Parts: sequence; C-alpha cells; structure tokens
Amino acid sequence: MKAIDLLTKIDRRIIYLILFAVVTLPIIFPSVKSVRVMPPVEKLYAAIDNIPEEKALIIDFDYDPQTLPEIEPMAFAVLRHAFTKRIKVLALSLYVQPLGLAQNALVSVAEEFNVAAATREDSIIYGRDYVFLGWQPPPLIPILGMGESIVNVYKTDYYGNRTDTLPVMKEIKNYGDVGLLVSLSSGDPPKWWIEYAQNRFGVKVGAGITAVSASEFYPYLQTGQFSGLMVGMKGAAEYEEEVESNLGIKVRRKASESLPSLTYAHVVIILFIVIGNTGYFISRRRERRLS
Amino acid sequence: MNIVMLAGFLAIAPPASVRGYDTPDDGGRSITLEWTLSPDDGVIERYEIYRSCNGVDYEKIGVMGRGRGLFEDDTEDRRQYYYKVAAVADTARAFSEPSAPVMSSAQWLNRKKINIIVAVAVFGGLILLFIQRARRGQKLFVRKIAGLQAIDDAVGRATEMGKPILYCPGIGYIEDIATIASLSILGEVAKKCGQYNTELINPHFDPIVYTVAREIVKESYASVGRPDAFDPDSVYYVTDSQFAYAAAVDGIMLRERPATNFLVGWFRAESLILAETGASTGAIQIAGTDQVSQLPFFVTACDYTLIGEELYAASAYISREPLLLGAIKGEDWGKVIIGAIIIAGSILGLLTAFPILRLFD
Amino acid sequence: MKRNFPLLLVFVFGVLGIIPFIIPHPVVQGTDEFLRNNLLKILAAFALILGLGSLLRVHFDKIKRRGQNWEYSWVLIATFIVTSIIGLFGGVSGTGILPTRIGSFAFDIWTIYFNVEVPLGAAMFALLSFFMASAAYRAFRARSTQATLLLTAAFVVMLGVLPLGNEISPHLPSFAQWIMDVPNVAGQRGILFGVALGMIATALKIILGIERSWLGGGGE
Repeated sequence: MKAIDLLTKIDRRIIYLILFAVVTLPIIFPSVKSVRVMPPVEKLYAAIDNIPEEKALIIDFDYDPQTLPEIEPMAFAVLRHAFTKRIKVLALSLYVQPLGLAQNALVSVAEEFNVAAATREDSIIYGRDYVFLGWQPPPLIPILGMGESIVNVYKTDYYGNRTDTLPVMKEIKNYGDVGLLVSLSSGDPPKWWIEYAQNRFGVKVGAGITAVSASEFYPYLQTGQFSGLMVGMKGAAEYEEEVESNLGIKVRRKASESLPSLTYAHVVIILFIVIGNTGYFISRRRERRLS
Repeated sequence: MNIVMLAGFLAIAPPASVRGYDTPDDGGRSITLEWTLSPDDGVIERYEIYRSCNGVDYEKIGVMGRGRGLFEDDTEDRRQYYYKVAAVADTARAFSEPSAPVMSSAQWLNRKKINIIVAVAVFGGLILLFIQRARRGQKLFVRKIAGLQAIDDAVGRATEMGKPILYCPGIGYIEDIATIASLSILGEVAKKCGQYNTELINPHFDPIVYTVAREIVKESYASVGRPDAFDPDSVYYVTDSQFAYAAAVDGIMLRERPATNFLVGWFRAESLILAETGASTGAIQIAGTDQVSQLPFFVTACDYTLIGEELYAASAYISREPLLLGAIKGEDWGKVIIGAIIIAGSILGLLTAFPILRLFD
Repeated sequence: MKRNFPLLLVFVFGVLGIIPFIIPHPVVQGTDEFLRNNLLKILAAFALILGLGSLLRVHFDKIKRRGQNWEYSWVLIATFIVTSIIGLFGGVSGTGILPTRIGSFAFDIWTIYFNVEVPLGAAMFALLSFFMASAAYRAFRARSTQATLLLTAAFVVMLGVLPLGNEISPHLPSFAQWIMDVPNVAGQRGILFGVALGMIATALKIILGIERSWLGGGGE
C-alpha cells in the first residue's frame, strides 16, 4: 500500500523542486543546438523576405513581461531580419504595457547594427529605417483607422515627433503600402488584425504567439489567413535558426538557449504522468481483486 | 504614334488597356486603375502612374513594381480624372494611351458583405422563429448541463460549511459575450446567496464590469427580499493587470478558504493558476469559458466545466424562460445547417478530386 | 423607464455598431469613427476613475474597521499614491517637472515598471509551469479509452514539438504537427463555430432586449 501511495500521492513540493532543478540547471550551463525549422515558421520567414522594396513591415508588439521569454526572442529575430534586408519597419502596440518592451527591442537591435556599421548608409536610423508609432486607445481604433491613413491615427510617434514629418511616413500612407503585418502577442490581437485589417483592407498578417494559445490560431494558418506563424519558444528558436543560417547573423540566441530547459521540463512532466497512472492502475487492479 | 516610335527606339513596350473605375464597395475618394502589363515587364524597373484633371497636364502620383497591374488612387469625389501608366527602364519611359475620364463616389452598400448579411438574416430568422414558437407555448427541450445543475448543490455546500462563495468573472471586458454570460450566472448565484445568507466574494478585473456586477448583485438580493443582506464591499475592483489579479484572487482563496469557487467568464493564462490554487484548498470548482486554449486547464483542475456555448446558454438554462430557450434552439438549428453545408461541400470536394468524376468542373 | 431607457440605448448603439460593417458611405463611417474615437475613449477614462475609486474605498474601509490583514491595505494605498505622483509629474523617463533621480539611483515610472512590475509579472507567469506539472500529475489518468487516446496524443505532441522528438524519430515532429493541423484544428473549428454562433445569438438577444440579465434583478 505504501508503495502505491508513493506513486499516487507525491507531495506537490517534491514535484516543484524537481521541476525547478531541471529548468534552472540548463540555464546556468547553457548550450545551443541546431533546430529543425517547421513549415509555419518557414512561411513567415519567406513572407517577410518577400516584402517589396517600396512596402513596409508593421510589427505589433503586444506581449507583456509575463510572456517576454517566449515572444521577445521572436521580436529580436524578426527585427534583425527586417533591418538586414532594409525593410522599413513601423512598430506599434495596442496596449500600454508592451510599449517599454517594444522600445527596448527596437533600440537594442538598431544598436547591434549601428555598432557594426561603417557608414551612415549602413546604419539603422530612426525615422528613415523605422518608426515607433506608440499606442492609441482603444485597440480597435488604430486597426481600423490605419486603413485610411496611418498618420491620422498616430499624429505623433512615441517620442512626440509629428509622424507626417518622418521620412518613412512620407512613403507609407496606409495598409496599401504595407507588405506584411506581424503581431507578436500573448492574447487575441492577431485575430483582431485578421478580422478588421485583413478582412476590410486585405493586409497580410503573420503572428508570433505563446505556445498555450497555439491550438486556437492553427485554423487561421490553415486557411491562409496567417501568412506564417511562430509558436512559443520553439517557434522563436526556429526563426533564430532561419536568420542565422540564411543571413549569417551570429548573435546570442536566447530562445535556442532555453530549449533544453523546455525539453527536460516536458520529460519530467511526462514521467510524473506515467508514475501517477502506474499507481492508478495498480490500485485499480487491487480494488478489483478485493471485490 | 510618337509613343510607339519612341518605345520602338528604346526597345521597351508601353503598358496597354489602362482602365480606371470607381473603387467598388467603398466610401468613395478612391479610383482603381488596371492595366495590361508591358510585354517587356520582365526587364523594366517599375511602372509610374500619372494623373490629370484636364486630360492635358499630367503629374506623377505613384509607383508600382513590375508584375503589378493594379493601383488604387486617393481622389476627390465627383471630379474627373485621366490616367496614364509608364513602363520605366533606366531613364526611358514608355507611356500608355490615356484612360477614359473616371470619377469616384461613395457607395451605400458593400456588396462583398451580402453573403454575411444573408447568413446573419437566416440565422436571426431561425432564432426569432423559435422564440415565436416558445411564446406560443411550445415546450423546448435543452439537454442537461452538469455544471449549471451543480450550482444549487455548490451554494448549498458553502452554506452548510459556513464558508463563503468566491465568484470570479474572469479578465474580460463588458463587451465580451462570455463576461455578459458570467454576469447572468452571477445574478442567479447572488439570489441563492441572499436566500441562504451565504457570504459572496466577487473580485473584479475591469471597472465597468465591476460597476455592472455591483448593480446585478444588489438587485438580486433585493429580488429575493433580502436587500439588507447585500454587502457593498463583497463586490469590488482589484486591478486590471492580469497576473496581479490572479495573485489577488489566489490570496483570497488561501485566506478566506471558500467552499465553492466559480471561475466563469473570459480567461487567459492565469486560468490554471486560479484553478489549481482553488483545487489545493479543497473547494468545489465550477468553471466556464469560451476560450478554447483555457478549457483543458479548467477540465483538468475543476469539478465542472462549461464549454463554449454552454456558458452562453446559462441564462436560458437557469431561468427556463421560453424566449431565451427559443434562442438556443435557433442556435442549434443554425449549427445543423452549417454542418450540413460542410458535409455537402466535403462530398463535392471529394468527388472533384477523382479525375474521372469531375462532374462539377 | 429605469429599465426601458438602457434597453433603448443598447438597441440604438447595437444597430449603429452593425451598420458601418455593411455601409461604406462616409456619412455612416464618419459617425462610427466619432463614436469609436471620441465616445469610447471618454467612457474608458471615466470607468478607470470609477474602478480606482472602488479600490481605494474598499481598502480605506478595511483600515477603518481594522479588517483582517488591514496593514497591507496601507501598503497598497501608499504604493498607489507614490506611483501615481511619480507617473503624473515625473515623466516617462524622468523628463517631467518632478525630479526622479538621486545621483545614479532613478525612480521614474519606467524604472519602477521595469524593475518591479516586470519581474513580479514574470514570477506569477512562471508559476504556471509548476501548477501544470502538479495538475498533470494529479488529474491526467487513463480512466477510459478516450482519456487514454488523449494522453497518447498529448505525449506525442509534447515530445514532437521539442528537439528531443526529432532525435527519438524524425517522423515524430511531422506526426505531432499532423495532430495539431488535423484533429486538433477539426475540434477547434467545431468549438469556434459554436462559439461564433452563440456570440451572434447572444448579441442579437441583448440588442433586441430579449436577454436582460445584465440589467440586474429578476426576469422582466
């Protein structure tokens, strides 16, 4: 009986301790392995790669600190891709919380390029190569308003500059001048972009989402409403792999470093489920014998 | 003729058949331009679009890449415009013949949405039909929904144990249908709490939802003749930060030890944190959401789960009001029609997949 | 009148919300834009004031009657006041009228957000992994054929989405992807259809005044 109790009634604190160990140790001793890139990420990479020269990429930063480990690596990888290909980037957020995180990503990646740049032409210049539009409440207003005019919705950018004076905004008027919109979100915004921006104005949409929301977004990928999809930390690692292997950009790959922790955590959970079910079957068999 | 000679000299051919028309199904101020690609489309750099208001003076208004034969222009309504398109290679330009004059105007109907209007009309009609039948006294059957049937037992358990009931309506806003459905269940739970004198704890994520919920709970207590039992502080706003709200509700569960937890509404990632904490306190848990990503967590950690539209049916199920039951019947028949169309379409799709049976090509 | 006026408002604004979807004319779109751009923003601002008022009132009441853990209410109120003053007068990165720096120690709203809110939120989200483990261990039992099938699919997907899955078998990731693409999407679509129809029906019921539970009280 005691053995069955051991199997079916493990104190949850022991489970937490084991999980803590298998998640933390690979982070302390990181290693990066090559990742096999799956079709949804390949599609997104190709969609960004094929944005015409005269069109822009809109990145919607809608993740918060809680989902930062999963989604921020996606933001960094996409920005590195866009800046390498000299695709004009318009950054915005539908909520207030992600604004600081968006600014951090834009400034960090731009700085990476500017440190290595030899001339002004090689540099990533704010206003010429990218614009941070900021936030306008409530979420649906900018989504619908940008179909007519982006500068009418965002009269000033995040830093207070008038958007109609920025060089990028003189060429990018509305969704017609946008090649792709990528929504990096832990919630429903990718669906809103499809419902309102794509349905009304035909803009192509891609997304980077958390792993837990994956099942509700796959139908949109299947129907072609999403031009591509990155799911969770693995999706971020796959995009990092694409950027490194296609563009030769060798930088720290945060998502790829975290994959071992993810792997071992999954294995531990599977083991605990097996242990629990083993105990369950043994106790069920005993009950049947007794009865 | 000059254009043809010039193009011949420079060896690029101009685009042809430039046609402008009022962009359909829009609010005006837009003209769509189409043209046949230049035969030298593969070697040119781009197309330049030129516009004139009098057919004489043209100005460049836009650029399209090669391979593209469509352009949308922002215009003033009720003003005539003429267009030309030039194929450009280096410094050479091969201009098309000018288009016929065209004017933009606003439309009163977006014809692309007609199919949606028809579908909503059919669906709405079905609902109204069954509501009429319910009004005439026809009995409408709705299957047992375990989670809703358990509400009485759950409230009774809390009363017997002398512990409070925690009602968490999720982190949705008032425009979310799941939140509205949750508030209707809250009303019923509040009535029972009023009747049995059971303490109700109702923390909120959104200030507007809090305001509405407060009135609902107050009116519910009044409707069962217990306005004095209503505690205004039982319904309160906490925070609109997702995980701060989850931390607050977890704290309530661990301190107050409610006998029953209702987790009904619109949830995101905090759902498992709430459900698992509630399970660890030994409370009976009834959950319900239309967020498919959170359903597995609720099914795992809660005793009863309302899945998707079972939540929307709650109001009708609990009140047994004929009008509301009629609406549920209409919904079900709408699903039957959609299911039938999907099956028919799948069969047709299978048939056309066989080369011999391409009857519907 | 108390019940009829809100019902009338809901009907009018409900219909006004549907019409711009069908009619692209600027007269209609302009009205819709005014309602969304101006009216909704004003409502959102007032609702925030209501909510904050409720929060502070509840905690002041708790302090007054020395309720359980009333000391923490002081912590909440003090933090709320200090952060509000810093946010309102200190500027986003310390560029406001209130100085938010002592030497190299900065306490502007951005610093507070990045050093307090961000780690706290991340810590709460991190709890999910532990709760997932304990919930899976406690509740995932192969009690029936369907439950066994579900468990097997869960194992395949959990392993298939990891690099480990590719090492176990190169077909595992593709099989996991197939499970996500086909049976999962089929189930999701079924639920999505039901939810979408339920939403239309509920919205119609509310706009037409058939569903009145949101008004409070009983029945009609």
